Amino acid sequence: MNVTWRRLKDRIMLGLAALMGIIILVPVLGMIWLVVSHALPALSLGLFTQVTVGAGGGLANAIVGTFYVVGLGILIAGPLGIMAGVYVGEVDPGGSFAQVVRFTTDVMAGVPSIVIGYFGYVTLVLGLGWGFSTLAGAIALSLIGIPYVVRSTETALSKVPRGMREASLALGASQSTTIWRVTLREALPGVVTGVLLALSIAIGETAPLLYTAGWSNYMPSLQLTHAPVGYLTYVVWTYINEPFASANALAYAAGLLLLVLIVIVNVVARRLVSRSRLGR
Amino acid sequence: MKFSLRSGGLAAALVGALALSLAGCGSATTQNQGSVSLQETGSTLLYPLFQIWAPAYTKDHSDIKITPQGTGSGTGIADAVNGTVQIGASDAYMANAQMSADPGMLNIPLAISAQQIMYNIPGLNHQHLHLSGQVLARIYTGKITMWNDAAIKALNPGVALPALRIVPIHRADGSGDTFLFSQYLSFSNPTTWGSASGPQYATSISWPPVPASLSATGNGGMVEALQQNKGGIAYVGISYLSQAVNDGLGYAAIENKAGQFVLPTAQTISTEAQSLVGQTPKDERVSLIYGPAQGAYPIINYEYAIVNAKQSSSTTAKAVRQFLTWALTTGNQPSYLEQVHFLPLPPAIVKLSEAQIAKVQ
Amino acid sequence: MATPGKVRALDRIMRVATGIVAGGSLVAMAAILVFLLRDSWPSILYNGGHFLTSITWNIGNLYSGAVSRHNGVMAPHGAAYGILPFILGTLLSSLIAVVLAVPLAVGIGLLLVEYLPRRVGDSLSFAVEMLAGIPSVVIGLWGIAVLIPWIGRGLGPWLQAVFGFIPFLRGPIGSGQGLLASGLVLAVMITPIIAATTRDVLRQTPRETKDGALGLGLTRWEMIRAVSLPWSASGIFGAVILGLGRALGETMAVLMVSGSAVNYLPQNIFSPIGTMAATIVSQLDSAMTDPTGMAVHALAEIALVLFVMSIVVNVPARLLLSAAARRGGEAQ
Repeated sequence: MNVTWRRLKDRIMLGLAALMGIIILVPVLGMIWLVVSHALPALSLGLFTQVTVGAGGGLANAIVGTFYVVGLGILIAGPLGIMAGVYVGEVDPGGSFAQVVRFTTDVMAGVPSIVIGYFGYVTLVLGLGWGFSTLAGAIALSLIGIPYVVRSTETALSKVPRGMREASLALGASQSTTIWRVTLREALPGVVTGVLLALSIAIGETAPLLYTAGWSNYMPSLQLTHAPVGYLTYVVWTYINEPFASANALAYAAGLLLLVLIVIVNVVARRLVSRSRLGR
Repeated sequence: MKFSLRSGGLAAALVGALALSLAGCGSATTQNQGSVSLQETGSTLLYPLFQIWAPAYTKDHSDIKITPQGTGSGTGIADAVNGTVQIGASDAYMANAQMSADPGMLNIPLAISAQQIMYNIPGLNHQHLHLSGQVLARIYTGKITMWNDAAIKALNPGVALPALRIVPIHRADGSGDTFLFSQYLSFSNPTTWGSASGPQYATSISWPPVPASLSATGNGGMVEALQQNKGGIAYVGISYLSQAVNDGLGYAAIENKAGQFVLPTAQTISTEAQSLVGQTPKDERVSLIYGPAQGAYPIINYEYAIVNAKQSSSTTAKAVRQFLTWALTTGNQPSYLEQVHFLPLPPAIVKLSEAQIAKVQ
Repeated sequence: MATPGKVRALDRIMRVATGIVAGGSLVAMAAILVFLLRDSWPSILYNGGHFLTSITWNIGNLYSGAVSRHNGVMAPHGAAYGILPFILGTLLSSLIAVVLAVPLAVGIGLLLVEYLPRRVGDSLSFAVEMLAGIPSVVIGLWGIAVLIPWIGRGLGPWLQAVFGFIPFLRGPIGSGQGLLASGLVLAVMITPIIAATTRDVLRQTPRETKDGALGLGLTRWEMIRAVSLPWSASGIFGAVILGLGRALGETMAVLMVSGSAVNYLPQNIFSPIGTMAATIVSQLDSAMTDPTGMAVHALAEIALVLFVMSIVVNVPARLLLSAAARRGGEAQ
């Protein structure tokens, strides 16, 4: 009897866990269905070749703009975050300076993106006189993304077996060579996952870009300051409230493109992680 | 490890090359040397019109690029003042305090717009209820909570009002529409709403706490909130009227100063506009709300372009002047304005606006 | 030639360079903190303690031209700033989110590690990770189109029918926009983070200990309760803190479903609310019309309070986690 009750409890728990799995699928599938069904009127080849014109047109400027601002932001956040992560994880992991940096990184990860956006607006857009610009947007995004890269790098480095480092040093390699050629290489999938995480967060940000990048109906030039740039999340946020049906469809189309981008980033991340596991 | 690195790097390089080539070919075709870029931001009420104006204007004037944004009248004023944009769009003129803080700003009317009071009462949305300033003030202060209240019944004899809770909806963001609506409430309720202890008027006011009330962002948000809330009442800009009516929402006949209940039609709006032409000062900062004329719709306004008289360069100033002049003439034609239910400026006002435009250097 | 001297110099340069970059994050946070303090100082002077206890958010009368002074700082006549409704809205919605997300996420983590075969588990894993990456504006769209009508017509009436004896659940349901919608949206947003970490941490539970427990005759669930969960507890706790931090600072999605209430406190779980982060966005452009600048300073003060809240959440959590790590190390 006792055993039957315990087995029953086991089954119940399995059922509950399965229920949780089903519950979480509801919003995911719901969102995909919602965005796809409402984006259909706007789907056409012109979406990728035309720029936003009035209340309609295409999304070419927003797509390229997203690549531009986010790409630049990750270009800044990636190397800086990895270097900081290497310091905290490898160069001086136990030190008090490293602990302070770790704490700061965690707090920075919790700062609301609107605060970063406003900070960027006052210091870069107004203070430095850049106006709405790609660089201001990229810097804001990098401030948001760096904590994630630092944290992932540190975690990935900590998982590398101690033996590897010791072997490298025993062979006479310097600390630099050990860290950058041996340890980091081993930890690379985890590090890149962190960068991809920052990337997907940057792709989805709206509030900070509203106040730093502005918006543009035109394809972005390579000008970094004094020229606003368009991005997909702006279209979702603003065009959904327009009284024109074409604008609403465009908003959902932008949402769909964002989802596609996120899926691509996720797939790439998974391949890296699985490949590293196979390689071992 | 090397495999994933290489393929990852290759993928990144391809993506980067693609993006740069798109950007490159884009800039080759759309950017001319010496082109001027004008930025506009502000009122969500004026935004749909700017979205129609911008491509039409740049088609004939390819050396000028115009980028409109819909962010709210407050941002429009602020960004025009600090120079982030050349043209700020606002449904509200700048306050005296703001003008003395920034004396070089110009408030230039570009068109005439109006606002209607909309509601979502199942079964009654096709009818135009009669609502007065007093009743509206009492709704938004929470003194009238049900649609079948005696005061509403008194204004609408013979209408079967349901026992439905009223949900007052107002704007969360700084909005010219809030300015217009609160001004109407202030002028029609001078001893309560409009008194020094009342909320008075501004682009952003302290709404009296009504437990059922909601905020919405943007005119579109107001329409959306109405659709979701039975019993809701909201003030919405006239560009959104056709869409909202198509969605099955109703709008009211509002009491004007002469005691009549009027609907916002081209006729009633222009009557109000005409009657107040004489009161418009040279700097064109004047309220068009609650005018005394018969048959006039009481909630109308000038749609302002807030522009700094001192622009960053003479080429920019010239571009701004040219565009604004075009907006006043070609842009004021029915083919543009009708899409958003705006009305053209009376000729006397056009002259005043042109005089102000000339000041932009 | 890599002489010992050159190698040591290279090492030193590398250490210094990475140290400088790491220090850069300190500089950035200090800059933001200084910025917030400076920008909110006039508001701190003007509003004092009332800022945290008052319910009224009033930008003052800009068109009357009158100005009032307090503590040497100017503001439009009638201006009074209080953020108690926003503090409550933030805390309550985050609380609901965590209460809902933790069982959900731990359940998913267990499902993925202990119960599901690898292939099925991978698909579910993928879906959860996708959810983590969906932009908050898209989640907001879903919230408006799907979640709010469901709360208004389905979940709300059901909750009142079944749990109506709880005072906080009684009262008007409204359209569904409000506290419950915000809590649910936040739960959807933070579950993936907690679930992914739970899954990763559970996977690291030592196989021998687990097998030992099963060998002793424990059922799967009893093994989980006795071995896996205690082992993973600190890691899961860390993820919950991370999720809580995200919930406190979330802006766009909450802005779209919360109802943006001002000047009153939530009456029940369906009441419209305002949160601190969402209020900053929705009030920012009207604040910019205030020529005295007081409104913007008040918003900066909200940001400062949020920043402090984030630190208050992180510090005890980190201390607990490092204490647990130390204890765990000793036990081994």
